[in-house]
Amino acid sequence: MDIAEIRSQFPLLDQTIHGQPLAYLDSGATAQKPACVIDAEADFYRTINAGVHRGAHELAARSTEAYEQARYEVARLVGAHFGDGDDELVVTGGATAGLNLLANAFDHASLDGIEPFALHPGDEVVVSRAEHHSVLLPFQELCRRTGATLRWLDLDAEGRIRTDEESLAEAITERAKVVAFTHISNVTGAITDVAAIVARAHAVGALVVLDACQSVPHIAVDFHALDVDFAAFSAHKMYGPTGVGFLYGRRELLEKLPPVNFGGSMVELAWMEKPAQYMAPPAKFEAGTQPVAQVVAAGVAARWMREIGLGAIEEHEKTLVPALLELQDIDGVHVLGPLSAESRIGTVAFEIDGVHPHDVGQFIDSRGIAIRVGHHCAQPVHRHFGYYASNRVSLGVYNTPEEIERLKDAVRDVRGFFTR
Amino acid sequence: MYDELEQMYQEVILEASKAPHGKQSFAADITSAASEQASSAAQTVRAEHEACVSAQSHQFNPTCGDEVTVRVELSDGTNGEPIRIENLIWDGQGCSISQASLSIMYDLVQGKTLDEAMELSRTFKKLMESRGAGLDDDAAEEALDDAIVFQGVSKYPMRIKCALLGWEGLKDSAAIALTQMTK
Repeated sequence: MDIAEIRSQFPLLDQTIHGQPLAYLDSGATAQKPACVIDAEADFYRTINAGVHRGAHELAARSTEAYEQARYEVARLVGAHFGDGDDELVVTGGATAGLNLLANAFDHASLDGIEPFALHPGDEVVVSRAEHHSVLLPFQELCRRTGATLRWLDLDAEGRIRTDEESLAEAITERAKVVAFTHISNVTGAITDVAAIVARAHAVGALVVLDACQSVPHIAVDFHALDVDFAAFSAHKMYGPTGVGFLYGRRELLEKLPPVNFGGSMVELAWMEKPAQYMAPPAKFEAGTQPVAQVVAAGVAARWMREIGLGAIEEHEKTLVPALLELQDIDGVHVLGPLSAESRIGTVAFEIDGVHPHDVGQFIDSRGIAIRVGHHCAQPVHRHFGYYASNRVSLGVYNTPEEIERLKDAVRDVRGFFTR
Repeated sequence: MYDELEQMYQEVILEASKAPHGKQSFAADITSAASEQASSAAQTVRAEHEACVSAQSHQFNPTCGDEVTVRVELSDGTNGEPIRIENLIWDGQGCSISQASLSIMYDLVQGKTLDEAMELSRTFKKLMESRGAGLDDDAAEEALDDAIVFQGVSKYPMRIKCALLGWEGLKDSAAIALTQMTK
């Protein structure tokens, strides 16, 4: 892969910060956008903008086509079915919005007794200690409201979700109805053994919800092959725009799942004196005007990723991981997560003895290097390692070995500066 | 770029953060497994001195995890004197800016009247809102003493909350103590 050529497609990367060339190592928070994605959003407004799925004029038709074409591009990226009557991707306001939609739909289903989603006291919902707050909290709330019990899969010393038979049998019991977990931790970068959890969950008849936010941008993901029932991911981490995400659901489940947002564009027949008749999925989950320009741009991002090749993206990022993991050889640095390059992506969180992450981030920023500091919206996994916050590097397809070396040089100098 | 960083992390700040004044161990640690348990009912805080009222306030900066519990003991004014900060202690963890700011605040307000302390708090807040420009008021800057070193921090909007955290704890705990007095 020609990294210089790839980088040239990202206008933002070509700038200096504090007098140094920008090294953007925070793609786990949000990825930068190639020019084709930025242009797609603007071009939509310049040439096509119109309401989708309504109106008889030409622009409305083109707008609808562009919107559905985007759904198709994203569906191809993640191995979801596409097409009228087959669609398995619902447009959401982001991954967090998608996960909340799902948890709220389970809540509605519990009220109306709609199986296989309904939760009652005695039922269990299982997450893991590695979850982002956007998985933990919607399902914790769901339990609180339905009377179901929240359980969780614990982590091993490296921060990987324990998927040995004993751990799985202990956390996922016959009472489990939903098992929700992350495909890749946004803190440790560890890739979860999805197959092991899915096998156990399905053996006890539980639905599987996958948080795919950190996997879709980095590795080839096929929801059918993974055999998960639902999955959520966001566009902005996969080189697309903010404000858009997608909720995947197996078609027959999306058909049974009750809607949670009500209004325009999701109803077939509405009356004054009786309940409305809702449209088929995905429309029944997409009430109101959607962020159409952003969805269109997300489709362009998905196609852009496929054209580069998921294998090439994964391979490139993988080649940088060993150098990145050399962080642990620096005096006073501790990596929170797997220390080998196996079954992990280029997301590495670390601590520096005696220097608070906020100070580390400030120091590293002064060298023009952008990393994330804080708890990365995953407090329990930090507590697992005995910390509140950490420093996190997360790679994108545009990062180079030179940037990793600059980062390590900066990290080496941190303690000297703060103990001068 | 380095000059700016050194202006922010002045030696006074680094030293104060390493050996902070007024810090004592009396509050729970949020990184501990114990903190995962539901918290017990709010504890009553007893004053150590006669004719004093004590209160504490927990302040938290969720973006970076700076956390502090400030406990203040105020004279209750029954001796006819103005209400005074008889004692102040704090416990917490966080970045060097937050820890140093707490240490320097402790040195500044310990033993002062509450009015004086609140005036200092307002002056310090103005400094932190000055975007690096300072106060343009020599008397006010002098009153801040060592706290003037945070002028460099005020250039960084993301860090202002770190410097203000302890002062928020002081204001809040003093307000709680005052409410108790009027009961």
